[in-house]
Amino acid sequence: MVIGKIVKSDSHINYVCQIFGPHEWEIQPRPADYAFGRFVRVAVRSLPTDETENAWNMFAEEPPATTTYAVGVIYNTILQNPAYGVLGPRLSNETQVEMFSPDYISEKAVLTYILVLGMMEVRTPGDGGQASQEVVTTMQGVPSLSLELDSQVETMSDEEVCNFHYFADPAGGPDSQHPYLHMGYLPHIINQPNSLLPMVTLRIIDQLEQLFPQNQSLLSIVKRNFAWRLKVETTG
Amino acid sequence: MFDSSQFVFPPAHAARRPVGITKGPGETTHEYTFVSRDENQVLKNGEYVYYELADAETMASGGPVRRVLGRVLKRVPVQLYPDTFLAEPEISPSMVAAMVGYDAHANELFELHVAIMGYYDARTDSFINPWIPPQSGKQIFLADDEMLTNVLSRKKHQDMGSATIGSLLTRTPAAVPIVLSVKDVVSTHMAIIASTGAGKSYLASVVIEELMQPHNRACVLIVDPHGEYGTLDQIMNDPHFEEEGDGYGSGYRADVRIYKPEQVKVRISTLNMGDMRQLLPEMTEKQQYLLNRALRKVREGKHGHPWGVADLKQAIKSVAKQKNDDEGEGSDDSSTAHALTWRVEQRFEQSFTFDDTQHLDLDEIFKPGQCTVLQLNEIDDRDQQVIVATLLRRLYQARMATERGQVHSGESYLPYPVFVLLEEAHHFAPGGTEVVSTSILKQVLAEGRKFGIGVGLISQRPGKLDADVLSQCQTQCIMRIVNEIDQKSVGAAIEGVGRDLLDNLPALSKGQVIVAGAAVNTPVICRVRQRYTQHGGESVDAPDMWRKYFSRNSAESQRRVDAPLNGNKGFNLLR
Repeated sequence: MVIGKIVKSDSHINYVCQIFGPHEWEIQPRPADYAFGRFVRVAVRSLPTDETENAWNMFAEEPPATTTYAVGVIYNTILQNPAYGVLGPRLSNETQVEMFSPDYISEKAVLTYILVLGMMEVRTPGDGGQASQEVVTTMQGVPSLSLELDSQVETMSDEEVCNFHYFADPAGGPDSQHPYLHMGYLPHIINQPNSLLPMVTLRIIDQLEQLFPQNQSLLSIVKRNFAWRLKVETTG
Repeated sequence: MFDSSQFVFPPAHAARRPVGITKGPGETTHEYTFVSRDENQVLKNGEYVYYELADAETMASGGPVRRVLGRVLKRVPVQLYPDTFLAEPEISPSMVAAMVGYDAHANELFELHVAIMGYYDARTDSFINPWIPPQSGKQIFLADDEMLTNVLSRKKHQDMGSATIGSLLTRTPAAVPIVLSVKDVVSTHMAIIASTGAGKSYLASVVIEELMQPHNRACVLIVDPHGEYGTLDQIMNDPHFEEEGDGYGSGYRADVRIYKPEQVKVRISTLNMGDMRQLLPEMTEKQQYLLNRALRKVREGKHGHPWGVADLKQAIKSVAKQKNDDEGEGSDDSSTAHALTWRVEQRFEQSFTFDDTQHLDLDEIFKPGQCTVLQLNEIDDRDQQVIVATLLRRLYQARMATERGQVHSGESYLPYPVFVLLEEAHHFAPGGTEVVSTSILKQVLAEGRKFGIGVGLISQRPGKLDADVLSQCQTQCIMRIVNEIDQKSVGAAIEGVGRDLLDNLPALSKGQVIVAGAAVNTPVICRVRQRYTQHGGESVDAPDMWRKYFSRNSAESQRRVDAPLNGNKGFNLLR
């Protein structure tokens, strides 16, 4: 489900998404759709260059329909209201504005901050069926490509979140042949200077515990470690 | 422990890979540190590593590059998993690391401290210290088995004069044999020191087996106060200890003679005043004076021929009489003489050890290719000391006389070196007090080298052993020692290079031994090989024997033994 668009970035991995307001999209997102700790994805435009396009044409084969997504997590929400504190002359109230000036665009907005956690490449079959998407590659950490302004931000289903976290890592690991649970973005979440990020980590772990009940004890190690530092050490 | 017949030398390593990189100098002058991941867990404590030293001398001569060998002293972790990763026993920390995106194939990092031993110089058979730690960044290699086989031991396995007692502990069994140089063991003596149950007599038997093999054919005497070496007689029937004649020399078959306690005899005429003092303790001054004069008289009268108790008694009488005659009235020594005669009679006429004529002939107990075991169990402690003292004295005199060319035949002629193994050595040379065997043992240890008498001391209480005696043994085999006093006395006696090895003493298991000193090139920790003959020094299996008491047959006979004798009423006279 599309919830908004990228309007700004603070760094290569830190983006601001403006949630669609009324009439901006078919379905207006509810607060639950852009909740704290929600996984979202943003399609990255990675069209083949002209030369490769020609190469594909030469072989007269249809290029595989893959889409690259940047996967991120919502870690902050800001309610933007430029009219706040402006007590100046007002010709009409809000309902009258809607009636008399239908082309007036409201400047109020909901902004969410998204931290990019990695990328995944998904092959979409011709019929475009959501359920039969196939993950080609998954990568966690800082992506090489950046997002573009106005890119659409979509929420991710549980299955997609699972796919993003559970894969076989060809680079190594104790058992590189078989898929296992990855949270390779943890180090760079911790390094970000934002007080909400450790909390979002706990929220992520909670979600993963529900998605991967078999990995509960593995997750509990990280969870307890974070919880101890956040809750016991800061208050103690 | 392993079978030494498995010794097969692997071909030299085709490709060697460095195990680490030098970091810099270590804590002391002759140490350096290097850093390694040690993924294969090969850099154990005590393991041998080397770096290559290209010095001007070798470069000029075009010789092979010198390899400076060192021994790993300790490993200090530089990078370990955080404690929190170890919170769940069933989850390995590498899984947690993998989850957070760390390639967990190589995760630990160690700093290893190495004591520099030096490069091996074949001309001097020793290690030469380069006197400078390696430069930072030098590659460190694990010494391969072949290199260690060549440099750790003086001799090659199965060479003439070699004694393979086992293999290097840090390597697989049989990979690197530890071979003692028999020449050095015999000329500069050996000590085997261990707590009870650590395998002293097992190791001693392995050494004896090596000495009795065709490539050594040694002349060995074992003084065995506990009767543990009786099983060595299997040597006579074992193919390891025989060799076919090759047309030039005759064949060889090792011989073992075991003397039971009642066969161990000491001829009274070989006792000196010190022995007498030991055997007849608490003699008065007068008694000692009389006995001393009587001994002198009987020796002079017999001109070196054996004499007996009767002769001694006679001499005491005549000496006392003569003294009375000389000093006239007022000095009556008859009571002293009587008491002394009574004591001599009491001590020697009842004894089965001391005899007028019989004793152990040197040429009978000392023969090349023969291992003689003197079992002294059941013999009184004091008598044991006297037996050892007289035997060592006679041996020392015989070897000295033979070497100096003073005798060419007869009882005192012994034209070959001998090796004497003393079990419970602290009993024959205790620290802090002088017993009759102490002085002759010290003399043999100090000067035996000149006359070819090698001594092997075995003790479980080095703290109770005379410090001089222990320090005279140039080859030390030290097994597990728990007692702190004993550890210290061993530390004082062992040569400096191996002191760091002594920290491992309490950690050694049964059958593992630290060998240091003259018979090896450098101190090593060795796994003792398996014996060819059965071991005799086993502890008593008490529960097993208690159970046997209740087995069916013995219970029956036990009931018969225990049956009360009041069943027959016919003889009750009071009825």
